[in-house]
Amino acid sequence: MVRRLPLLLAALCVAATHAGTPTVSGTVVTMDGAAVADAVVFVQVSAAAADTARREQIVDQINKTFVPGLLPIVVGTSVRFPNHDQIHHHVYSFSPAKTFELPLYKGEDAPAVLFDKVGVVKIGCNIHDWMSGIILVLPTPHFAVTDSAGHFVLEDMPGGSYTLVAWHALSKLRPEDTAQSVQLDGQVRDVNFRLPLAPARPRPAMHGSRVEP
Amino acid sequence: MASALLRTCWCVFLSLLGALPLQARAQFAAEPPSTIWLRALLDVRLAGGGPAPSWTEHGPGKLRYGGSDASGGFQSSEHFGLSRAALQVGAALPWDIRGQVQLDVQPDVADAYHPWLTEAILRKEWGEGAGGWGVQAGIMHVPFSLENVGPAWSPEYSISSSLLNSWIWEDILLSGAEGEWWHTTQSGLRLGALIGGGYGTDQIGRLLALRGWVMGDTIGGINGSLALPGSGARTDIFNERDHRPALYSWLSVGDEAEVAAVRLGAIDNQGDEGRPGVWHTRFATVGLVVHPVPRVDLIAQYLNGVARVHAPPNDSSFSASYALLSYHIRQHRLSVRYDSFRVHDLDGGPISTSEQGHAVTTAYLLQLGLRHRIALEHTWMTSHRVATGPINPTPDGWQVSYRFRY
Repeated sequence: MVRRLPLLLAALCVAATHAGTPTVSGTVVTMDGAAVADAVVFVQVSAAAADTARREQIVDQINKTFVPGLLPIVVGTSVRFPNHDQIHHHVYSFSPAKTFELPLYKGEDAPAVLFDKVGVVKIGCNIHDWMSGIILVLPTPHFAVTDSAGHFVLEDMPGGSYTLVAWHALSKLRPEDTAQSVQLDGQVRDVNFRLPLAPARPRPAMHGSRVEP
Repeated sequence: MASALLRTCWCVFLSLLGALPLQARAQFAAEPPSTIWLRALLDVRLAGGGPAPSWTEHGPGKLRYGGSDASGGFQSSEHFGLSRAALQVGAALPWDIRGQVQLDVQPDVADAYHPWLTEAILRKEWGEGAGGWGVQAGIMHVPFSLENVGPAWSPEYSISSSLLNSWIWEDILLSGAEGEWWHTTQSGLRLGALIGGGYGTDQIGRLLALRGWVMGDTIGGINGSLALPGSGARTDIFNERDHRPALYSWLSVGDEAEVAAVRLGAIDNQGDEGRPGVWHTRFATVGLVVHPVPRVDLIAQYLNGVARVHAPPNDSSFSASYALLSYHIRQHRLSVRYDSFRVHDLDGGPISTSEQGHAVTTAYLLQLGLRHRIALEHTWMTSHRVATGPINPTPDGWQVSYRFRY
């Protein structure tokens, strides 16, 4: 029993730490109250205060689709773009936050791309015009993506005062126009956003045998 | 001087001031995708071949660029100019319908700078890449090619398609509709089935009988025609006389990782042989696509069919096959392809349609960024066509292509 005491104390410490971690949850809906999926809720901080710790993420290419289609990352993250289709893809972006291209390749050939500037990076494939995706480069590691019900959960946030904002690819509002202040003091906070969304008509995909060798 | 400097500084300051909020707004702005988009392709070619003039000039040459007919006989020559300009317009229409129109200018093939309408489709899909189904209607080519999956339906592995796919893309264009289904089983098998039908194919096969197989990268248009040998006559690509629809199907089986896939296709234009000028042509094709190791593509395809016409006696059976090995690393691609082809005269008319031959094509493609491609290709071919005598019209040919893509 005595020999197990340090282990028990350590376990109690860990439990106490997690029990004290405040969490924010809520929903993002349209002005009509409909759930908004793939919205990103994040803590607003200045780019100067950005967390630039090196991280790595992946945007895969499967069945001529970017997976995931939306990838929020913290600035300083490197993203690899493996191509698991047997056809070539030519990934590119002309976005001001990151301009790059990965010429025709398959498999794991392409080098990782470092996203070192906050902003929206729209990616596409030069061969398959319907393939599109967004990498949202954020100044903070505290972000969450809404599910199909518009629900999000921000976990493991230390206590304190924060400004939360919501972003969506079709939002008519700038993220700062959605800002809401929240005080975290150990209790779960509920924060809800309403976003007016612009109508959109994505390019319909082409699957099937006509685009396969 | 000082006031001018001050004014300039003030202007720059005001500009920066004005730009700041714009930049802030733009930082997280994601412009919604446009519902209409434009793609273009421009291909300029330097080519040499011969000595026989090309089939595009009504000659017996088997390559797109051949020799010239000088007073002393055929002699090799070089060509430089626009080989293709393609414009693709796409639109995201209501109900997730995709509209796509393609125009092509191929001056030497069309004998003019007239744009050909090579595709005009509406397509709707349900599901996703792993499983789903779709319908497509409009003016389109049959989906039998394993090579023409590049931009604007250009060959992916070389400058010229195989003889088999050169014919499919130049001659078989129809106005119709098709339905397609694809599915991935739990065991990882990818299955696909497509059936379709359409009009405008009443003279497919005529080119094979009267001219024979040729190699190129031509894409046929609904308002286009292709050169026939000798007389200066041309044959319409889209031709409907008997109002019977062509029917076609395309089946595919492969593994989920797409390491290997088998494709089977068949078409019967159901031509009414009793009507003047109508050809009854049908063929089947089988293809194999293998990616045995990373960076290597191995493609083989075989086609066999028959084309019959009431008169004149030009009934012919035909077959062609090719095997293509391609290695790619980054922006480099090196391909080698072996082609074999044959036409057999079935009814012994005064002018035999029989021919046979084979070819070896080597190509190197270098992609430079998003927009530019430089390619080199050499083709060695030997062939014998009874109607044109014992000469070998196209011993070899070479092409250097610069392609710009928007």
